[in-house]
Amino acid sequence: MTAKQHELLSAFVDGELNSQELDELLALMSTNDNARADYQRYQLSSDVLRGYTNRSQPVDFSARISAALADEPVHQLTAKSGKKASVLTLPDWFWKQTAGLAAAASIGALAVIGVLNQPQTDVTPELAQAAPVETQAVVAASPNRWTVGEQEVEDRLNNYLVDHNEYAGASGLFSYARVVSYGEE
Amino acid sequence: MRFLLHALLGASLCLPVLVTAADNDEALKMLERMTEAAKTLTYEGVFAYQSGKNMQSIRIYHRADARGELERLISLNGEAREVIRSNDMVTCINPEGKQVNVSRRPLGRGFPSDLPRRLNSATPYYDVNLGEMDRIAGRQAQELVITPVDEYRYGYRLWVDADTHLLLKSELVGTDGGVLETFTFSSIDTDVHIPEHKFKSQMAGEEMTWHRSEPEKPLDAASHSQEHHWRPSWLPDGFSQVAYQTRLRANNGADVEQRVYSDGLSSVSVFIEKIRARHSHLRGGSHVGAINAFGTIMQAHFVTVVGEVPAQTVEKIGNSIAFAEARQ
Repeated sequence: MTAKQHELLSAFVDGELNSQELDELLALMSTNDNARADYQRYQLSSDVLRGYTNRSQPVDFSARISAALADEPVHQLTAKSGKKASVLTLPDWFWKQTAGLAAAASIGALAVIGVLNQPQTDVTPELAQAAPVETQAVVAASPNRWTVGEQEVEDRLNNYLVDHNEYAGASGLFSYARVVSYGEE
Repeated sequence: MRFLLHALLGASLCLPVLVTAADNDEALKMLERMTEAAKTLTYEGVFAYQSGKNMQSIRIYHRADARGELERLISLNGEAREVIRSNDMVTCINPEGKQVNVSRRPLGRGFPSDLPRRLNSATPYYDVNLGEMDRIAGRQAQELVITPVDEYRYGYRLWVDADTHLLLKSELVGTDGGVLETFTFSSIDTDVHIPEHKFKSQMAGEEMTWHRSEPEKPLDAASHSQEHHWRPSWLPDGFSQVAYQTRLRANNGADVEQRVYSDGLSSVSVFIEKIRARHSHLRGGSHVGAINAFGTIMQAHFVTVVGEVPAQTVEKIGNSIAFAEARQ
């Protein structure tokens, strides 16, 4: 994953992508396993932040929280460079040439922060809770499911979704993607 | 001279109109070819589905031959959810909840089969135009821009493969012009033979809970349709009933009636389900992706409207549904 790709992913989580950038990210997600894994990590941390931990799989809090902590500096770094880019509007060649440098710099920064964070991940729960509060504003994805309280109602609506899909209009061959993606966050 | 001038002026005024009409015609033809291609081609590919901040990579296998159609979709990230469609069955596999849902399809009544016929009925309610040429998944694609005339339906931007006419990318456009959903192929192969095992689920069925729903016998369905008179008194202009069926869910004995209304491009289903015990139901609106639902309880029935239309459309239809006693 390049710095540019991380930036795309981060901007996506912030809801700041234009349609061309979104196309780029969609293509990346479909072809790059690392990008998919990173996206899962973003989502995982947002799961914890929003309290979506009632899944059937056992929840490894320490792994999730350390993922959230490790992600935190990445958000800030990429957000800053994003702002600079829009304010200074430097020509493309400049960014192309400095991209490698920026990537190297951010990896360096990551390594340093990684070391700094190491002891925090396995200490008190207060510390772990403090970090999510900061990221909450950044990660605010809505889950891909019906916003209903009860399982019974959700199941019924899902049956309807499948039955309706038989008649779904112009999205045609893609329409069952909605069923396949249901509940993924 | 003056006559010539008038003639020239007239011609220059007419020209753009003629071009637009031809454009529109070509766009409609392309839409028809697109629908046909999705049913008659064999293809295998990976596409991304994005809605809001949710994103999924999905693999699709589709085979069409003398035996009919066979299709399998598998989610590539998160839980490996699957949908397998054959001529007469839809099987949804949810490994997370260890559930399999099998639903029998209404034979020969699927929407895609007669979409081309209905497309013409959609023309008063949408502007269908040719857009730019673009490259999607390494293929040349023609863009189609479909704009609704009112705020009761969504618009579409479709990218159609110039070579095979397969839909390569689709955007659902909201009433404010924002994109609500994007489906886009990142890789696609239309020149493939897909072996049988690719259409089999990877999940072992033993530890799963199976749910089946069967269409009721035509006789029962007929008696139901005489018994029940559920009708929306309001539909967006151009919407009419295109399908009607009743299903029996084997796991809980629920008896569900579905009526589908469409304008040729967008569609809405009205589901009526008799309440058999004390149960709760959706009251008001909800959505998943760009699909909106509106639920209410009426005459001891759950009434639910589901469709890829704006929230206000399902709500307005839902609020207009009335129950009339059977005529003797």
